[in-house]
Amino acid sequence: MISIDKYAYNSRLRRRDPMQKLVFAMMTLSVCIWAEKIIISIAVIFIMGGMTVLKGGTLFPFFLRLLLVPMIFLLVGVFTIAVNICENQEMLLWAIPFAGKWIGFSDASLVKSLKLFLRALGAVSCLYFLSLNTPMVDLLAAFRRLGMPKVFVELMELVYRFIFSLMETADTIYNAQNCRLGYSSLCSSYRSLAIMASMLFIKSYKQSKALYTALEARGYEGEINVLEEAYESHWGWYIMAVAVNALLVLFVIALKSITGGLS
Amino acid sequence: MNENILETKDLHYIYADGAVALKGISIGIKKGKCTAVLGANGAGKSTMFLNFNGIYRPSSGQVLFNGKPIDYSRKGLKELRRKIGMVFQDPDNQLFSASVFQDISFGVVNMKLPEKECRRRVDNAMEQIGITHLRDKPTHSLSFGQKKRVAIAGVLAMEPEVLVLDEPTAGLDPIGVSELMKMLRQIQTTLGITVVISTHDIDIVPLYCDYVFVMYHGMMVLEGTPKQVFTQKETIRDINLRLPRIGHLMEILKYKDDFDLDDSINTISEARIALKDWKARYLKR
Repeated sequence: MISIDKYAYNSRLRRRDPMQKLVFAMMTLSVCIWAEKIIISIAVIFIMGGMTVLKGGTLFPFFLRLLLVPMIFLLVGVFTIAVNICENQEMLLWAIPFAGKWIGFSDASLVKSLKLFLRALGAVSCLYFLSLNTPMVDLLAAFRRLGMPKVFVELMELVYRFIFSLMETADTIYNAQNCRLGYSSLCSSYRSLAIMASMLFIKSYKQSKALYTALEARGYEGEINVLEEAYESHWGWYIMAVAVNALLVLFVIALKSITGGLS
Repeated sequence: MNENILETKDLHYIYADGAVALKGISIGIKKGKCTAVLGANGAGKSTMFLNFNGIYRPSSGQVLFNGKPIDYSRKGLKELRRKIGMVFQDPDNQLFSASVFQDISFGVVNMKLPEKECRRRVDNAMEQIGITHLRDKPTHSLSFGQKKRVAIAGVLAMEPEVLVLDEPTAGLDPIGVSELMKMLRQIQTTLGITVVISTHDIDIVPLYCDYVFVMYHGMMVLEGTPKQVFTQKETIRDINLRLPRIGHLMEILKYKDDFDLDDSINTISEARIALKDWKARYLKR
């Protein structure tokens, strides 16, 4: 089992209505993106991280490790924004000469990239809050209630269910190949990998047919209908979501009026 | 009165690629009993089962449910599949949902019952199978045996009249096998559901089944109570099956070692009684 999935199932917030968690995460995400303030981004990271770790029960080191994953991509991306090419060395804080021009960081570009970096991380932490506390099944239930087309939800459900089955099969095939020295050289690795890919395709096709037969035996008529789980749900959560975000928005407005709409 | 709940008459089935899977099967499955279909791999057991609930249509011949030929209309099939519950061999091919609870509810919801009744049946089925504790677990975290139980619960929740299980004990550990068979026996006796299983696990047949059909290459070669069937030792061996271990032991003791014993005994408890009896006779002499 993938560990994010495991945390979602063991989260103390698991029984909470997924719709409420979705609304909270999406609202905060929008505010974080709209605000464009370093302080708001940091606040969002702390709010979402705090909720996930303290309320949901995800281990703090694991949450940090998860945040590291996008951080690496972000650092690379943000680096290109931070770097400026300039004719004038005084514009830059630190620079090296290159082909008659200067390459380096200016303080404006550094602030800009830091802002972007934290904003993206804030948005990611909102999504982590959602995925670490909401199992996929519950999230799909929320999508269904939001009126997303049934076909999409059913497809997502089947894809999610069979990802694990596919991974298990791939793992078994890989081990079987490895036992017979299938990955002993680069050449044989390529060959083994190709065989595995085609085998996975054939197996998936067969399994999909078997699944269809089994669904038919239980009265499948083109639509997957199941009972929804009962969730813990009260208005307090929505009020909390609105209050937290209203506070953030107010803070941003106050900040903007102090700095006179600048920055 | 016709006590056969399921019947086939001269059932033939030929696959699209020309492979002949069933060659004139005529059997009757008794209501409220536990029936086993024995046969080596590729004997046609699974194909026959899929003919039972109309997933496959016979190439010729008939399948009768409660004395009436199967109605292959949309409505007829729906009704039939509600009454004949099918549990497939590989639970990974049957469980489509990542949620145990939702998967079990699928068949019931398809029956268009009121929600309250659906929930009652799902809870009931989970209790009967003993998997209430798995309710909130994701399907992919379950063991093979647990998946099997969830698959059975999903069918049982539809409250079928016949429960057809394709190789229910394949891939289970010894304790898993006896627990599963005891559970099926309990479902059969307490709920009055007819149970049909296919298997090549010979030893469970005399223990848990009332009646046996033996298949070979798409034909039905033997039928009867386990006692009757396992006295046809030659035929059993000819078709790549074997006697139950205890039956084999009794045969050796009787014919090779000249013990005065009944060689139609196939279970440990029967063998014990027979040996005690033999000891008493021996001491008297």
